[in-house]
Amino acid sequence: MQNMNQMKTISGSISRALFVLLVLALSGQVTAQEVSARDTLRTFGPRFGIDLARFIYIFTDPSEIGAEASVDFEIHKNIYPVFELGYNSISESEELFDYSAGGVYARTGMDYNFLPMKDRSVHHSMTIGFRYGMSVFSHSAENVQIANSYWSEYMPEPYENNLTGHWLEIVGGLKTELVPNLFLGWSVRYKILLNPGMDPAMIPELIPGYSTGGENRAFGFSYSILYKIPLLKR
Amino acid sequence: MKLRILLFIFAILLSGCVDVEICDDNSDSELVAKFKTVKEGLTSDSTVTALSLYGIREGKSDSLLYNSLSTSGFVVPLNPHLPYSSFVLKIDEQIDTLTIYHHQELYLISYTCGFANMFTLEHLEYDMGTIVKDSILNEMVDAEYESDENHIWLYL
Repeated sequence: MQNMNQMKTISGSISRALFVLLVLALSGQVTAQEVSARDTLRTFGPRFGIDLARFIYIFTDPSEIGAEASVDFEIHKNIYPVFELGYNSISESEELFDYSAGGVYARTGMDYNFLPMKDRSVHHSMTIGFRYGMSVFSHSAENVQIANSYWSEYMPEPYENNLTGHWLEIVGGLKTELVPNLFLGWSVRYKILLNPGMDPAMIPELIPGYSTGGENRAFGFSYSILYKIPLLKR
Repeated sequence: MKLRILLFIFAILLSGCVDVEICDDNSDSELVAKFKTVKEGLTSDSTVTALSLYGIREGKSDSLLYNSLSTSGFVVPLNPHLPYSSFVLKIDEQIDTLTIYHHQELYLISYTCGFANMFTLEHLEYDMGTIVKDSILNEMVDAEYESDENHIWLYL
């Protein structure tokens, strides 16, 4: 029930966020139409994004829910510091126990755009970068049953552990400016878990923002819609 | 044409490959004990001609784990409900009660196969004189039984 409420809250937030982004994107388009087609100025500002792939996962795997937002800023030519923040949880009923895990994560790093820039007003990018990720989460097992043929079945107390995961990522991707300041982009990520033995008693089925804790190396995929607030133009 | 058909069949077969984890029916954590004797300062294996053994289960009837078997040791499941496991051993007409003190922690075998108990042996007690000495070789007892495992030696 709590998960349903969380999903409704998240789903409502997404709809509102998409609506705001759409309005902002349309306003950006009007501004761009007002500007001369030969405008060679480049806009700078924080670019906010949400990962749409997270919402697709709700349909493919309803036991897992999550949301992720990002912000980057071109501080120097082709250099984009990035900060990403998200939430991820999973709740599964296995044959011999019920498992749940959930928590928040953050990633920080840098992207480098190596797409040749012929026109300064074009903001498409093809990037490669890195991230350091950290997740603070808890996982638990309830209704654990251990079959015992001689002494009779054993049902221990629920198991719970609070954990912190650390990992590094190599990220590559594309961002296309659909209309002025509104971007669609995707990225693929190769992730390396730095502390795989964080819980020797129960390997986490989910490390939010990473993948399953049973894999020391993992791949990830993001598909994002982003809006840049054009604070500067030069 | 044949090559295309072969590639097609290969692609179908490849896509049909999935990992299926097979779980052991027995998730008991079993202790392996060997009988030993000391003669002239030398330790050697000892085989008893008839071992009968059962666990002391509160509220349940006795159920023999070994029934007059000729053996050089035994394998018994540890009790997850109590901090000790007690067994009655009848070795060649002599009876002794062996109590193994332990503590335990849960560990996950896998998400498919579930949890098991990891026991840590503390000490052993016996009082009838059949067993004269013991030594704990490996204090950790888990659910993955290996045939060459030795947890304790019991000196007769």
